[in-house]
Amino acid sequence: MSTGTSRTIEVKRELQQDQRQEAEALRRQLGAKGTLVVNLVSSPGAGKTSLLEATARHMADRARMAVLVGDIATERDADRLRPYVPVQQLTTGGACHLEIGLVKRGLALLPDEPVDFLFIENIGNLVCPASHDLAEHRRVVLMSTTEGDDKPAKYPKMFRTSHAMLISKCDLLPYVPFSIDAVTKDARNINGQIDVIRVASLSGDGIEAWCQWLQDQRRMLMNGALH
Amino acid sequence: MHEISLVRSLIRQVESLVCDQGVTVTEIDVSIGPLSGVEPLLVQSAFSQLAPTSRFPEATLCIRETELIATCQDCGCSFSVASFRFVCPDCDSRAVDVTSGDGFRLERISVTDDCAPGNTTLTQATNR
Repeated sequence: MSTGTSRTIEVKRELQQDQRQEAEALRRQLGAKGTLVVNLVSSPGAGKTSLLEATARHMADRARMAVLVGDIATERDADRLRPYVPVQQLTTGGACHLEIGLVKRGLALLPDEPVDFLFIENIGNLVCPASHDLAEHRRVVLMSTTEGDDKPAKYPKMFRTSHAMLISKCDLLPYVPFSIDAVTKDARNINGQIDVIRVASLSGDGIEAWCQWLQDQRRMLMNGALH
Repeated sequence: MHEISLVRSLIRQVESLVCDQGVTVTEIDVSIGPLSGVEPLLVQSAFSQLAPTSRFPEATLCIRETELIATCQDCGCSFSVASFRFVCPDCDSRAVDVTSGDGFRLERISVTDDCAPGNTTLTQATNR
């Protein structure tokens, strides 16, 4: 094929602009109904499902919650949560992160009842989920004391984009080389505003403080003071 | 990793920009920042895998790596962020906003008009 003149078309557009706008619209829609959306991220095995089990038990008589659970395969995490709360599994079939389209699909399959808290349990991965807005009001990164306290420095984007850092498995602190001070300092060098909360989901230590943090965030959402 | 899905989205966006325009895409320019969450090398290799089955198998992908810049909310100082340490070098404040270097952007595309009958101009695409 013969060709003619060359030219340049300026675009200057974020690649994920459409998905971000879609997420922003859903965030506003759920926020207006009084639902605080929490995107829970961590490496595999940090204790996201255990935390949600403990949270559901603790909030059983004081708040309504629902959970969307992302996994590459199986419904095991959803099965663990089903006795406590409405839950919908999102199986990605190999993808390393959730995207807004999957969240919307899962949301449509949950019972159509208002909830105070919608948790999205992301795929266990500290890299890719950092780049995908799932319409959350709050992103919470969980890291366990058994993982080593160098996680914030190694995965800066995840800690930069999170509102709170939950240190899980704190009941194991006497047995592992993990410094709360060092990890807090590292995290705050990346994100000066990040809240730090300690929990031990199996014993229940710290769950009260975590649930209080959630209630505070929701109160700010209701007052239009959540930024 | 998620580079494959992002590059698939990049290709779809370029295809929709030139759709029915009677042009051949020769170059796609993107910029990637240190806090974008994507690795330029993996983006380039994902593009090599996906481009042959796209509408522009001959196009090249040019990646410009941008600097990570932040501005201090307290003293207004703008600085280059080294080693992901988001602390103002002037006043030591940790209240800093990233102003550039956290994105993966499609900057521009270079095209050549096809001299085919019924060729339409690019007015629509250039006005976007």
